[in-house]
Amino acid sequence: MTNNLSRIAIIARHEFLAIAGKKSFIVMTILVPLISLACIGLPYVMMQFNKGDVETVAVVDESGRYGKAITDNDEFRFHDITPIASDGGGELHEFYQQQEGLYAIVIIPADVDSSLTVDIFSENAVRMGLQRHVAQCLGDTITQSLIASYHIPQLDKIIADSHVEVSPNCVKWSDNGEESRSDAELASVIGLILAFLTYMFVMMYGAMILTSVVEEKTNRIIEVMVSCCKPIELLLGKIIGVGFVGIAQIAIWCVFLGVISAIFGIGSVVSNPDLLAQQAQIASTLDTDTADIVGTISQSLASINLAGIAICFVLYFIGGYLLYGSMFAAAGSTVDQPNEGSQATVPMMMFLVLALWAGIACMDNPDGGLAWWCSMIPFTSPVVMMVRLPYDVPLWEIALSIAILLGSALGIAFVAAKIYRKGILLYGKKFSWKNIAAWLK
Amino acid sequence: MNFIETKDVVKQYDGHLALDRVSINVPQGCVFGLLGPNGAGKTSLIRILNMITRADSGEVLFDGHPLHEKDIANIGYLPEERGLYRKMKVADHIMYIARLRGMRSNDARDAMRKWLERFDLTQWAGKKIEALSKGMAQKVQFISTVIHSPKLLIFDEPFSGFDPVNTELLKKEILHLHDEGATIIFSTHNMASVEEVCEEFALINRSRVVLDGKVSEVRRRFSKKLYKVDIADTMKFDPVDGLFSIEHTQPSPFGGITADIRLAATVTMHDAVAYINDRYALTAFHELLPSMNEIFIETVSSNNHQSASHND
Repeated sequence: MTNNLSRIAIIARHEFLAIAGKKSFIVMTILVPLISLACIGLPYVMMQFNKGDVETVAVVDESGRYGKAITDNDEFRFHDITPIASDGGGELHEFYQQQEGLYAIVIIPADVDSSLTVDIFSENAVRMGLQRHVAQCLGDTITQSLIASYHIPQLDKIIADSHVEVSPNCVKWSDNGEESRSDAELASVIGLILAFLTYMFVMMYGAMILTSVVEEKTNRIIEVMVSCCKPIELLLGKIIGVGFVGIAQIAIWCVFLGVISAIFGIGSVVSNPDLLAQQAQIASTLDTDTADIVGTISQSLASINLAGIAICFVLYFIGGYLLYGSMFAAAGSTVDQPNEGSQATVPMMMFLVLALWAGIACMDNPDGGLAWWCSMIPFTSPVVMMVRLPYDVPLWEIALSIAILLGSALGIAFVAAKIYRKGILLYGKKFSWKNIAAWLK
Repeated sequence: MNFIETKDVVKQYDGHLALDRVSINVPQGCVFGLLGPNGAGKTSLIRILNMITRADSGEVLFDGHPLHEKDIANIGYLPEERGLYRKMKVADHIMYIARLRGMRSNDARDAMRKWLERFDLTQWAGKKIEALSKGMAQKVQFISTVIHSPKLLIFDEPFSGFDPVNTELLKKEILHLHDEGATIIFSTHNMASVEEVCEEFALINRSRVVLDGKVSEVRRRFSKKLYKVDIADTMKFDPVDGLFSIEHTQPSPFGGITADIRLAATVTMHDAVAYINDRYALTAFHELLPSMNEIFIETVSSNNHQSASHND
């Protein structure tokens, strides 16, 4: 027994180093968060670059009333050229070409009140920014003048006052009637993030196991390996080794996240629920918009059992990883050529994508039948339960679901080991369910 | 005493009988040839000896006891299809296999140093295997096989893909391990190497052992009563009815005649020598034993013929 364990440990260590020891792994682990940050930040940066110089736009006001409505902004300066245009009566295009640096000409037609259209001429493709700005300025002014045309005193104020928005304030009762705030939006965002992380990690590390199995089989080292250790030891060593790769990677990202949160000063708040509630109170006494938003989020966060969710996340991740990881290993063992690997992963990918879709579908009704069943079926539960967790799922349901998941993960691992044991030594046989059924006997 | 033996081992794959009551006996310290055409069942048997697969029925005894998982530490196996982790460094690779075979880190490191020096690979220890030439990679495979000083070594077609220089080196090292007391099993269809190094063998054809025993004895058993005769005389050398016939004659490069003769069924070598010696100036007389290759082909084809007619 100690021999087996020490061999599994040796294999796990080897698998871990084979992936985590590579420079590319360290680079990727550090780069991925940076790239994702860049992906979020890049559009903003690019917009800044795109702003460019201030453009000059000429306005011809045929209505005679709205020429002043279009005001200058950061991007455009407007000049009313109505007198010149009407005096000259010449071709607008000629005028445009004569004026160096003129970007566009806006023509406000005489019947703009009723037609609600405006023409913009330019030799350039007219920027969205200009279109929006012109539409906005004219729209506001025309609205104002329409309201004024009713001659009802303070009509504009009445209209403004009558424009209301209702925000539901959800309170969740516990069994003994205690009240706590429940915020569906925040809960669903947290749930979705966790579900997506589970989906991504299981797929990513599953693929690593597959690669490792296929590599050993196709370069024929496998025959040497199985003469040194049992296939099940090799399989477990692989799953554990790659699992540690995952843990290392997630740990690095957590440190990253910690550093970033420390910089923005939110880390201490998120990690401590009491502090969250305090923060919420402090925030609610402040009378500014930002404080209000921060307060709401903090209050909602405080209502969600973060520690519980974290523990569940780890358990579901382990179960899901073991379940799918052993399936990936079994799939890899049936493959002869490195490029056939992706074909063998189709069933797992289908299950995983299905799980993610089910998770997204369950966001709408986290206590519904679909959500309940999908959080019990082991192939979908690691993803779907993540969506449900922030909504206070009863403990027995979580316990049952985890028990089913871990139980079937062990079962699947056992079956996968049987397929793996046969598959790794078999060459030149095409993958078929008939073969696999025979191996399982 | 047998170091490893199988008794009536049966193995079936997907309805195909790979081994049919196979029994072999490999004495302690012997160089044993496991022969047979491709697909005869050699690799199936080797996998059972290595505990890669289990026999469906039958028994495998290792050093007197039923083969057990802990015996893995005493077996070294070089498969025909042998791979390496190409991305690993030479030293890491050897250490990994040695540790899996149950060696302690320090012992493994010492043994590795010794072997790398022996094969002139010391300066390559830190290099990745993919940077090695094919010959050097083969040496690494060999080191990985023998590093834990196993008592039983199993080589499956060890010389395939080796260049002549490495083949010689390998042969020398294998015989050296044999001198140190290791029992060695060669699986091969290269008969020349069997005659050269093997003391005993088993010939497997169509999942069964069709011939086994000591190489020298079997060759004698297959004797066709063929002898080579050298005479100094240049006169005509004639066959004698009831005594011997002549298969082939030619002038000897040293003068005289050299001839292959076949003795009649009841005639002994002694009679033949006496007869020829009386009439000619006999300079040499020795038996022409069939080569293992001839025995192999004869046995396999007659066996195939038998089972074909049996099937009809």
